[in-house]
Amino acid sequence: MSRTVLRLVVIAGFVFLYAPIVSLVIYSFNESRLVTVWSGFSTKWYGELLRDPQILGAAWISLKVAFLAACLATVLGTLAATALVRHGRFRGQTLLGGLVTAPLVMPEVIIGLSLLLLFVALDNALGWPGGRGLSTIVIAHATFGTAFAVVVIQARMVALDRSVEEAAQDLGARPLRVFFDVTLPGLAPALVAAWLLAFTLSLDDVVIASFVASPGSTTLPMVIFSKVRLGVSPEVNALATLVIATVSILALIAAWLSARRRGAVSV
Amino acid sequence: MSNPFIRIDGVTRTFGEVYAVDDVSLDIQQGELFCLLGGSGSGKSTLLRMLAGFERPTTGRIIIDGRDMTDVPPHARDVNMMFQSYALFPHMSVERNIAYGLHRMGMPRAQIATRVTEMLSLVQMEKLARRKPDQLSGGQRQRVALARALARRPKLLLLDEPLGALDRKLREETQLELKKIQSSLGITFIVVTHDQEEAMTLGDRLGVMNEGRIVQVGAPHEVYEFPQSRFVADFIGTVNLFDGTIAEDRDTDAVIASPEAGIDIRIPHAVAGTAGQPVAVALRPEKIVISRTLPDPYDNVLTGQVTDIVYSGNLSVFHVTLASGKRVRVSRTNRLRAESEGIGAGDAVQLGFTGHSAVVLAS
Repeated sequence: MSRTVLRLVVIAGFVFLYAPIVSLVIYSFNESRLVTVWSGFSTKWYGELLRDPQILGAAWISLKVAFLAACLATVLGTLAATALVRHGRFRGQTLLGGLVTAPLVMPEVIIGLSLLLLFVALDNALGWPGGRGLSTIVIAHATFGTAFAVVVIQARMVALDRSVEEAAQDLGARPLRVFFDVTLPGLAPALVAAWLLAFTLSLDDVVIASFVASPGSTTLPMVIFSKVRLGVSPEVNALATLVIATVSILALIAAWLSARRRGAVSV
Repeated sequence: MSNPFIRIDGVTRTFGEVYAVDDVSLDIQQGELFCLLGGSGSGKSTLLRMLAGFERPTTGRIIIDGRDMTDVPPHARDVNMMFQSYALFPHMSVERNIAYGLHRMGMPRAQIATRVTEMLSLVQMEKLARRKPDQLSGGQRQRVALARALARRPKLLLLDEPLGALDRKLREETQLELKKIQSSLGITFIVVTHDQEEAMTLGDRLGVMNEGRIVQVGAPHEVYEFPQSRFVADFIGTVNLFDGTIAEDRDTDAVIASPEAGIDIRIPHAVAGTAGQPVAVALRPEKIVISRTLPDPYDNVLTGQVTDIVYSGNLSVFHVTLASGKRVRVSRTNRLRAESEGIGAGDAVQLGFTGHSAVVLAS
């Protein structure tokens, strides 16, 4: 009896979470231009999409930004996590920990605004980054991506057996060698997870990007957002479906990678 | 005599206010299997980590093979360690684990392959060379860890609770094997353990540690038969301690008055104390003969009542309560399947021992 209730609650939860997404995906295959009226199956909006240079350009920019920002966030996150976990107590440890993870709880509007002010000030003082564009979006996305990466990598690093690193040292490896031979492979699952997380977050972001992007470097979510303001179109549905598919595939890869690791452990 | 192979010279290590290792001096000879024995928090692991280079002495020096190692980092020491958790590299196969230290030495590849094969056969792991650590049993991991630590042919091998994770049977087999490997390679071993039985089986010599200090050093039988303090007597094996005072102390014999034992204990040698000085007489359970009426005369005979009998197969341990209320443990080998003189709980018994078997402790 209580099992049935539990099952119903779970199903209700999934419906609540995924029904909008499923209906969006279904309507992306709608033939009609009217989003809410079903008139037959068609993939023509996907075709339209591929002929739209604005959307293709934005998608390419988004992917570039997400890739670079995720790489930068993973590297910075690893460094910050190493400092926080591996170097004992040092002056300002708590401060560093707080500052690094602050973007997790900071309103995006404020992050976006403050970064914009920073870039403008830098431009005036140093002549760099020379107006807004791809590089400013990458820096902005890496900033909050790093916050997430630190949390993920730090958790893994705490769980790593310190004596494995000591063993490498004992067998003649210098500190840097130990890091690359033992620490990094031990962190690998967390690094992949952190990278994917930072990548997806960058791909999703519209608020921060709106502040630091230039007209020439509009990201995909910004294009979607501006299109929706003119009314929901089936084209946007198709585009959203593609984004959902991309993100799902990435999530599945991450899950598969970690499941494979667990499988090996249980042998 | 030549200089010792390892000289630990007045080494102290503090963590904040805590003295983890407190003014330890110790010499260890080339080719020796030395056991550091102590409870948790006795400082034995900290001392080992200082020998490996993971901790630096707060004061004092560590000299290995004539070279002052105090400030040498772990990767530059000709010393290897086998970790308690084994600390195998999880992402590397057994072979690659063993080869790791050799690569760091810059050994040519062909030579590495030969050495790895040699090490695998030493620990009988040839067939599992391509497995990953998580596909091995605890005993197999232990062997890989040993092979990896020995591969570089260190001057000194440090072993931190090497057999701690193995079950009893495997542990006994592995102890003998470890000893065999050690004597065949002639490498100096320092083993840290909390298991006194293991320390006695393995070690050529033991160092007993308590609260950061070495309290006694000696061969296993010396430490067991001639403990120098109550702590050591109590820590190594089981012991009955009778409080008393020196009543008489002559050149050839002594008498310890012990109200707890209910008799004056006769010791057939001088105890080098002053009359009236409080002492304890330590007596191992197996050195006492128990009987309803003792068949032979003994210099010391206690009387009491059996309160408990603990049967453990090969041995039975009798708990005997004396008139003073003191409980004495006596162990007896179960030589026959049915003891002819079956002593049961509640029986009045005599306990006989010779003064030669007792140790008089001043502290």
